[in-house]
Amino acid sequence: MRDDLRPALFGTALRDRVLIRLALSENGLHLRELARQLDASPTAIYRIIMALERAGVVVSRPIGKIRVVLLNRRWHGALELRSLLARLAASYPEVRERAARSRERPRRIGKPL
Amino acid sequence: MTLADDASLVDVAFAACTALERAGETAVLCGGSAAAYYVPDLYRSLDIDFVPHVQAARHIVDRALASIGYARERAGPYVHARLPYAIELPMGPLAIGREYVASWRTDRRGDLLLHVYAATDVVRDRFLHYWAWGDPMGLDVALAVARAHASDVDLEAFRRWTERERAADPTYDGGRVEQFFRLL
Repeated sequence: MRDDLRPALFGTALRDRVLIRLALSENGLHLRELARQLDASPTAIYRIIMALERAGVVVSRPIGKIRVVLLNRRWHGALELRSLLARLAASYPEVRERAARSRERPRRIGKPL
Repeated sequence: MTLADDASLVDVAFAACTALERAGETAVLCGGSAAAYYVPDLYRSLDIDFVPHVQAARHIVDRALASIGYARERAGPYVHARLPYAIELPMGPLAIGREYVASWRTDRRGDLLLHVYAATDVVRDRFLHYWAWGDPMGLDVALAVARAHASDVDLEAFRRWTERERAADPTYDGGRVEQFFRLL
C-alpha cells in the first residue's frame, strides 16, 4: 500500500483504512482479522491500534481469549469521527467491499455460509 | 517527597497531584481511581488516572513523578518500585461522553492537594461505562457513589446530561437510565 495515492488524513493510508474499517464494524474486530482484511501485517496494525488506544479513539476488550478492537463510543468526538469515516469510506471501496463480505451477525453453527 | 511502603491509593494520588501542581501542571484524578477515592470501601483500583488540564510536557511530568519515586515504563504507565499503584496520564481533554469537564473539586491534606472529579461527574463517568459498553461494574460503582454522596450528587443534572447524550446519539438505551434511578 506504499503506492497508495490517496491522501492520508490520519497520518498514514493504513491508519486511515484501520479507522474506516472499524467505523464499518458494529461489534469490533479481532486484531488479526483486521490485519487480514486490510492486507497488512499484524505488527503494523498492532502499532496503530496502540497509538489510537492511547489517544482514546479506540478501545479493546477481551472476548474469551481474544481481544476485539472497536471505536470508542465514549470518546468526546466519537459521533463526528464515525460520520467523517463513513464519508471517507467512499474513497476506500476495497475496505467497504471486504467489510460487506465479512459477516458479523449471528449464524447458527453448522448452517452453510 | 517519599511515599511510605504502605501508602494507599489516596496517599499516592495526593502526592502525585501535588508534585504535578508544583511543576506547573494541573492534573485531575478521574476514571476508576476517582470512584475509589469517593467509595474506598466498596471499590478499589490499582490504576491512578490523571488527565492533565492542558496537555503536559512529557519531560516535566517525568521529573515531577520521579520526585515521588515513580518512573515511566516504556510506552506504559508510571510505576513505583515498592507500591502496586500505577499512574497513567490519559490524553485529554477532560470529557465525559460528549461533554467537557471544566471544573472539579480540590481537596487539601496539609500542604498536599488533590484535584478530583466532582461526585456528580464520577457518577456520570462510571455510569457511562455501563451505558456505552454494558459494564455492570460501572453501574454498581455509579450507584455506590450516588448513594454514599447523596448530598453532593446532582441527580437532576445527571438526568439532563443523559438526555443530551441521547439526543446526540439515540442508540444509547434510555432503559438503562431508568434502571439507574430504579436501583438508586
